[in-house]
Amino acid sequence: MAARSINFAGQKVWVEENGDGTPVVYLHGIVDLHGLDAAPMAFHRALANTCRLIAPAHPGCAGTDEDETMETMDDVVFHYLRVLDALGLDTCILTGSSLGAWIAAEIAVRHPERVEKLALIGPTGLFVPGHPIGDVFWYAQPDDGVRYDGLRELLFAGPRTETGMTMIPDAKDNIEREMLKYKVFRFASLIGFKPPYLYNPRLSDRLDRYTGPALILRGAEDSLVPAAHAHAYAEGLGDAQLEVLPDCGHSLIAEAPALTAQLVSDFITN
Amino acid sequence: MHPVKLFCWHFMAYPYLPEDFDEKYDSGWVTVPNALWDREHAKGLYQEYIDQLVYADELGFDGMVLNEHHQNVYGLMPSPNLIAAALSQRTKNGRIVVLGNILPLHLNPLRIAEEYAMLDCMSDGRIVAGFAVGGGPEAFNYDVPSPRARRQFWEAIDLIARTWTEDGPFEHEGREYPLRYVNAWPRPQQTPHPPIWVPGARSRETMENAAQRGYAYFLSSRSHGDQTRQAAQAYAKTMAKYNRTYTPFDFGILLSVYVSETDEQAKIESQEGIWYFLRNCLKGHLRTKGRTLTWGPGIPSTSPESWRGFLEQWQFGAKQLGDTEDWEELDQRASIIVGSPETVRDKLLALVEKAQTGNLLIQFHFGNMKDELARKSMRLFAEQVAPALRSESADIFARDFPEMADRETV
Repeated sequence: MAARSINFAGQKVWVEENGDGTPVVYLHGIVDLHGLDAAPMAFHRALANTCRLIAPAHPGCAGTDEDETMETMDDVVFHYLRVLDALGLDTCILTGSSLGAWIAAEIAVRHPERVEKLALIGPTGLFVPGHPIGDVFWYAQPDDGVRYDGLRELLFAGPRTETGMTMIPDAKDNIEREMLKYKVFRFASLIGFKPPYLYNPRLSDRLDRYTGPALILRGAEDSLVPAAHAHAYAEGLGDAQLEVLPDCGHSLIAEAPALTAQLVSDFITN
Repeated sequence: MHPVKLFCWHFMAYPYLPEDFDEKYDSGWVTVPNALWDREHAKGLYQEYIDQLVYADELGFDGMVLNEHHQNVYGLMPSPNLIAAALSQRTKNGRIVVLGNILPLHLNPLRIAEEYAMLDCMSDGRIVAGFAVGGGPEAFNYDVPSPRARRQFWEAIDLIARTWTEDGPFEHEGREYPLRYVNAWPRPQQTPHPPIWVPGARSRETMENAAQRGYAYFLSSRSHGDQTRQAAQAYAKTMAKYNRTYTPFDFGILLSVYVSETDEQAKIESQEGIWYFLRNCLKGHLRTKGRTLTWGPGIPSTSPESWRGFLEQWQFGAKQLGDTEDWEELDQRASIIVGSPETVRDKLLALVEKAQTGNLLIQFHFGNMKDELARKSMRLFAEQVAPALRSESADIFARDFPEMADRETV
């Protein structure tokens, strides 16, 4: 278990790296390492038992420098190309959760030659008419100043699940966790604060650029990203398998860490 | 002699909400259904509010203050420049302070430079040009990503100031607003340009940017305790960093006042308007109950360092101004000052001395307050509070800021 920073072009990128074997790059979401937690969660630890898991923090998140000039998905993709270069990874298995899965898909359609396999866990990123992604920015402010039911409803299987209440309690969290949350929302806002949020209108038509193996995971109770998005990913990416996990919401890695890690690891090794 | 400047601020609230508004709706902002707009009652509403501001000018206030809000019941001025245009034709003496145009909501800052220049010419050089970055509700109303809004804001201000001071045509090589031909007609009447005011909520970056450019800082907080003095001192210190000397006229605050013959009378007359204002207009803005969108991780406009400072002080679920339950609590917040002329004068003088601020931007009309009550309070203030406030504040400033004696202030 190790965290370190890599530097390029005067920028510091915070990377959590664990395990041995096949390099797997993991791009985080909100309820995630670097998003709410400073340390790897059960999902990351389980997955790192089967591969070399490399999890960089997005610009402005955790210990990664903020890039004030960043504003489009192109900027983010170029950033990650530099990260892959700095890590010495000509190709890799690419995975991610939530908005991290969106970024992974954007990298894959631009540079399919660098992505051996693509595993998307609850990906945002598409525009599907009539099926808008939920307003996570709106509900990041609590009701009556104290209740995050709206936010948890979007991010978990329900407004008051045990996992949800632990990850996003109805209280001021410790300041370091609050800061992680603020920073991941700030990054999300920079790239995704455009209704209906967290998408790139061009991505759907580009999915066929990536023809390698892909895995799409979706929580059956995900109320942030409608089911139509997972289907659009599965249809758009040629060689994709879609798995729907029962009783889970948007944050599969927190709600079903063992099963999610198992499915990703099976996909990676098979 | 430099007496405190006394401005009359009108928010132009929507006054015809149903009695059960607070029970039924979680916010007076962004999602408050516009089906509640009553066309019949609303006839003449703008006229009533504009007339009150004209009255302020007649009473000798140093200026009238307007600002920009969208999709809410708190302030019915999506375009404050329209009201400023009306005032330019109906008032004679006072400054017209627009505090401010929310720059990131506009496609091109050149338009704001042009409109302010027009208003300055139309008002015979009476415009104070305020610029605001916008908060949570604005982010949701116009879908401007909050971190980007701040970047757009300062580029826009610099472009506007340059538009007013530099001969055109010139090219602006900005990241947000690149322009090949900048050559605004008309130019503002005031030289080098209308005074620029920037509101801030104590964030370090706003103070730094405003002080560096020599603009006046307006504290947007509505409650005034020790933090108001600390903010003034922080701004003085920031100005010193850029070799500028702080005067009370570099700093302004917002407060609300109701004056009547006696303390008791003032409470009786103002209570309906004040509680309507607190419960309904502040709901969604400065009230914890309901859905408050003023700040939070979903609208992350401040830098992470500023957010850390906020987190360290923030009590989770703490009451805000709009959650005030009784008069005693209201007194403690030093935001809405209600009483006889003597009471109001003493409290304002104490605030001026403590915060060392030379600009009092005062709200006289609250929520659904009746026209005659707002006018009565303004008149009593102008006749029985303002004279003493002006002369005594001038003495305080002469004592505390001797170097200001021969300086001209805006």
